[in-house]
Amino acid sequence: MSVQRIHAIFEKDLKDLPRNIALLMLPVSNILLALIYSLTVDGEPPIAFLYLIAGATFSMVTSGIMMSMIAEENEKNTMRGLIQSPASLLDIIIGKSLVTGIITAISLMVSLMIVGIEPLMNFRAIIGLILMFLFFLLVGIGIGLFSKSLAATSGYLMPVMFLFGFTPMIATFQLAEDSIIIRTTNTFPIMQAIELYDNNFWMPLGILTAWIIGAALFTFICFRKVMTDD
Amino acid sequence: MENAIEVKGMQKIFGEHTAINKVSFNVKQGEIFGFLGPSGSGKTTTVKVLTGELKQTVGDVKVLGIDSENFGSSAFKSQVGILSDNSSLYERLTIYDNLKLFCKLYGAPLKQIDVVLREVNLHDERSKIVSTLSKGMKQRVLLAKALIHNPKLVFLDEPTSALDPGNMAHIHRGLQKLNEAGTTIFLTTHNMEEATELCDRVAFLHNGELQELDSPNSLRYKYSTHAFHVETFKGNRLVIDNQPDQADQIRDLIANGEIKAMHTDNPTLGQIFLKVTGKELE
Repeated sequence: MSVQRIHAIFEKDLKDLPRNIALLMLPVSNILLALIYSLTVDGEPPIAFLYLIAGATFSMVTSGIMMSMIAEENEKNTMRGLIQSPASLLDIIIGKSLVTGIITAISLMVSLMIVGIEPLMNFRAIIGLILMFLFFLLVGIGIGLFSKSLAATSGYLMPVMFLFGFTPMIATFQLAEDSIIIRTTNTFPIMQAIELYDNNFWMPLGILTAWIIGAALFTFICFRKVMTDD
Repeated sequence: MENAIEVKGMQKIFGEHTAINKVSFNVKQGEIFGFLGPSGSGKTTTVKVLTGELKQTVGDVKVLGIDSENFGSSAFKSQVGILSDNSSLYERLTIYDNLKLFCKLYGAPLKQIDVVLREVNLHDERSKIVSTLSKGMKQRVLLAKALIHNPKLVFLDEPTSALDPGNMAHIHRGLQKLNEAGTTIFLTTHNMEEATELCDRVAFLHNGELQELDSPNSLRYKYSTHAFHVETFKGNRLVIDNQPDQADQIRDLIANGEIKAMHTDNPTLGQIFLKVTGKELE
């Protein structure tokens, strides 16, 4: 791993991003979504609503940008040029993750400021948000690595968004609390982040960590596949 | 002279298809080595093995003294430059920004960007966005990218395929200058004139097997009939064998001032390839 190479990748992607309209649309759409949500809520928004905004940001922006950036490098064969250079795949991924992290932070701050950021300005909430960021980042990296084209990532992004990004929306379906769907989705990262904020600390922290480990394993398998492809 | 590339009994098998079959050759340090073959002959697979993109199924491969097991190392990558048929650039960035990225990845000084841009005749276009460039200009940027870190060995796959004659000549001079400075060049090309002009030695690959390996001149001599082709002012075309008993005939033609043109029968590399493999280079 080399700081100089990570910086080179970071600088390149940061320069490229403003010229990439498709990628820029992701944080912009997310902020627009927050604006629309804010118009529908009177007074202080419920916590689940704030986490919905965070989930939308992490799925659309973090996972979306990360998988698109890597898939575009695969599709246009520029990834080969990077791998043929002394940069390791880890340098490349860290460089891209830094860019994704900055865009996510800006998008999340702006979106939450639109709807009211104050309830999330505490230790438990921040821990939950950081863990969610890591989960969505790893999912984005994994999908990006095995995606051969940019178009394919849109197909993969949809389930990530609806399953993991918009999980609190499940409440609108009025399902019974003990139904299998509710019990399953309650273990999803965003619901555990809400649980971490609201009630327990260690249990949701453990489940969130397990999700991150699962995402890391998925990313590692994709990483190995890329490195050993003949 | 030490070898830059050593290949011994190399085989590459994909499923039931043998792409490379027991190929052995050496490339000396400081030479321009031409690797010629039609599409599907195994040329690209060989280059992919030599650059570490693929692993050979059988055989020993060493590049710059580094065993193929270590082709993923920084030590290997920093000494090798690659321009392959599917190399690409960041289309939304400028020429300068593309080269700056690779300069930093290879740890080369930024002033090297100006040096390579002059070599490929693109210094005045450095601020142009890559997507606005012609195919030939992109090809020259890719060449600049392959040379940005002053590699000891460069693999060039059809480096002049999209270039006009002026820029092709410019690139040829640049490659010769690079070679004079000590860089070994492994060149794959379909352009026989280019191979004849640039290469110290050429190898013919066909169906994954090496058919010939020698200098262009030696090959042309080897496959020559050694006859003289004579055209007289009267419009006659004569073929005279290069034998002692034919000397009088040539002497008489010269003495009578009848010769309009005379040349030896040296085949081109393309003709030799056709003769050896029964297939034309596409």
